[in-house]
Amino acid sequence: MIDYSKNRFLVVDDFSEFRTSVIGMLRLMAVKQADSAPRGEDAIAMCRNTQYDVILHDYNLGAGKNGQQVLEELHHLKLISPHCIFVMCTAESSQAMVMSALECEPDAYLTKPFNRASLQQRLDKLVERKTALKPILDALAKQDHRAVLAACEKVTVEHKRFAPQCLRYQANALKALGQRAELEKLLQAQLTDRPMPWAIIALGNLWLEQGKLEQALELFRSAISQFPMLPALFDGLAAVMAAMGEPKQAQEYIEQGIKISPNSLQRQQSLGKLAKANGDFDNAVRAYRQAVDLGQNSQFRDPESHLGLAASLNEQAGDQAPNPRAVLEIRKTLGDLGKSWKGDANLQVRAQLMEASTLIKTGDQREADKLIQQASTQLGELDTFFSAEVALEVAEQLKALGQEEQAKGILHTCAEMYGDDANVMHLIAEQTDDPAILNGGKAAQELNRQGIRLYQQKQFAEALPLFREAQALQPRNISFALNTAQSLLRMLLAQPDPELKAQCLDCLDQVRSMPASDARYERYQKLCNTVAGL
Amino acid sequence: MQKKPEGLDFSTVIASTVHDMKNSLGMLMQAYQQWSADLPADLTDNRERGVIEYESLRLNGMLVQMLSLYKLGVNQLPMRPAWMEVEDFLQAQLARHNEILGSRHITGSYEVEEDGQLAFFDAELVGSVVGNVINNSIRYARSAIHLKAWTEDEQLVLSISDDGQGYPPSMIEDQSDYVLGINMSTGSTGLGLYFGQRIAELHQRNGQKGHIQLLNGGPLNGGEFRIYLP
Repeated sequence: MIDYSKNRFLVVDDFSEFRTSVIGMLRLMAVKQADSAPRGEDAIAMCRNTQYDVILHDYNLGAGKNGQQVLEELHHLKLISPHCIFVMCTAESSQAMVMSALECEPDAYLTKPFNRASLQQRLDKLVERKTALKPILDALAKQDHRAVLAACEKVTVEHKRFAPQCLRYQANALKALGQRAELEKLLQAQLTDRPMPWAIIALGNLWLEQGKLEQALELFRSAISQFPMLPALFDGLAAVMAAMGEPKQAQEYIEQGIKISPNSLQRQQSLGKLAKANGDFDNAVRAYRQAVDLGQNSQFRDPESHLGLAASLNEQAGDQAPNPRAVLEIRKTLGDLGKSWKGDANLQVRAQLMEASTLIKTGDQREADKLIQQASTQLGELDTFFSAEVALEVAEQLKALGQEEQAKGILHTCAEMYGDDANVMHLIAEQTDDPAILNGGKAAQELNRQGIRLYQQKQFAEALPLFREAQALQPRNISFALNTAQSLLRMLLAQPDPELKAQCLDCLDQVRSMPASDARYERYQKLCNTVAGL
Repeated sequence: MQKKPEGLDFSTVIASTVHDMKNSLGMLMQAYQQWSADLPADLTDNRERGVIEYESLRLNGMLVQMLSLYKLGVNQLPMRPAWMEVEDFLQAQLARHNEILGSRHITGSYEVEEDGQLAFFDAELVGSVVGNVINNSIRYARSAIHLKAWTEDEQLVLSISDDGQGYPPSMIEDQSDYVLGINMSTGSTGLGLYFGQRIAELHQRNGQKGHIQLLNGGPLNGGEFRIYLP
């Protein structure tokens, strides 16, 4: 018999009869501490104050957040530990499973109606499982992925029946550690025998990341005939198509995924983006509108949905003035953006430019000029620069608004910061043929390439001057600065030198305006902290 | 759906109605359980209670089956197989019928071939098949129902047997007709078998599909239903 008297329970359901009935069952199982709540929002608030051991959560709660959204937010906000047992209660569990994101699954689904015997049997098993997996969960709570791997090996040996669960933890840990070859081997071994949806998606995404597009395509396609109701497979196919340069097909796949599961914010957002890029503004408007709506009470709301909606409404009208209703919606959307992300100057600039282009179409040149003026001033004072993608968009906008010089300035900075990425340079070349922008980085890039070669051969002292020279040519280039800093750090670790340390900090300071969304941001911060701590 | 009601086909109407019915029934069952839990034992330990519990579970099973068959028809039945501990699965099936078995004085038991045996299947779908079969067996069993799991040619076999009179000989003979759905019109048993076969077939491995089988005799000398999952 498992002793539940010390465990804290939370029951979330919109029907009070159900809550009372479940709490009644729990009392018969000797549960002493059981809270209940009618809405997912309440559940999140309660989890801020109390560490629950078991949460029984209804999937479909009517108007507010559904159970899956609550679970995702609880994870995102780190309000529940891996030790917590989260059971999704559903009137029709197959439906909920379809909706469920594969990264964030509940520990179990329990089909309503259920009786006390079923509840107890399920909970007993879950407690047993969590107890057996405790070494893994402990390591997971500390985000120590190496320890997770070690614990998985141990648990697999000691409790053979939990081996399938261990495999999944193992795969996640390998992914977090970036051990791609091992991950690929593990997933492939799994899939030769049994087609597990999670493993299919993990392998497909891994291949996509590695650029093995044909393989990923084949895997996702064959999986769809077996699991036609898994939206994550369509997401995967869409991503592969986009990577293959087939945005129209990508859009079709995303649309199929949306048919199965329309309430996913990220999925609607991807659709908006693809449809907008494909010039299908009607669908873009629809998708972005959904995304803004879904984001209203969500932790995952993203200002790009607002900007995308405003832009698509604007584009929908072509060269004409958008109709008054559309103008109103653009205003409202941008107003909401301004209020919700008040302190974000980059977003303000983009919203101002967006509104200016609508104003010009409606004939209000004077108001538009005022906004453009404001935006230009703010552009010069930004603390962080845009990501390459956004910078290109802003440059295009500025050009369309007749601000040639400003647009060039943005492209120039973009080329300097991100120019070592051939893709970015390719996109910049679509907007300008100014040789100063297009060729400005060539010499520095060559130096950087040579530096990397030497660094890889562990010739750090020889690599450093090359990186330094590259950085001197393009002080704001993120890669050059990070490479210089890292080489300096190598030398500092061998022999402390205040002069070198100062140089190192100085070179990191040159790229302080890199956006936090950049993939290298974590590396940058780590370097800053390490060097400062020496 | 509200925008163009003229475009609705009848199967969609049925499916969404069944969905609502299932929710209503769920609420009813919950309310009933709540209410009967508050009553003194001598008021609830009667035949009517058994009828209410048995028939409501049966209704629920039929509604789930109907909804699943609809989704199978439009290729929307989600299949989510996973590794499952067979013993847990069998226990869960018995737990769902705990009260009914108790009130009808039927013993439910189970056995697995090996401790900690794992199998790969969709527990939700197979659970609805096994649940319906148990529900049926309860009607025919005299005093016992037995669940069993073993491996045969690398396939998992789940069996549900009882100590009743067994299936009528004609059903055993014509079982392939039932599973093809040919005899569907003759009664609810036929539809249940058809459903079981379809769910079994969804489970495939290296080209081999699952299937079901009806037998008489069995461990309790009554009817035996087997589902084979590769």
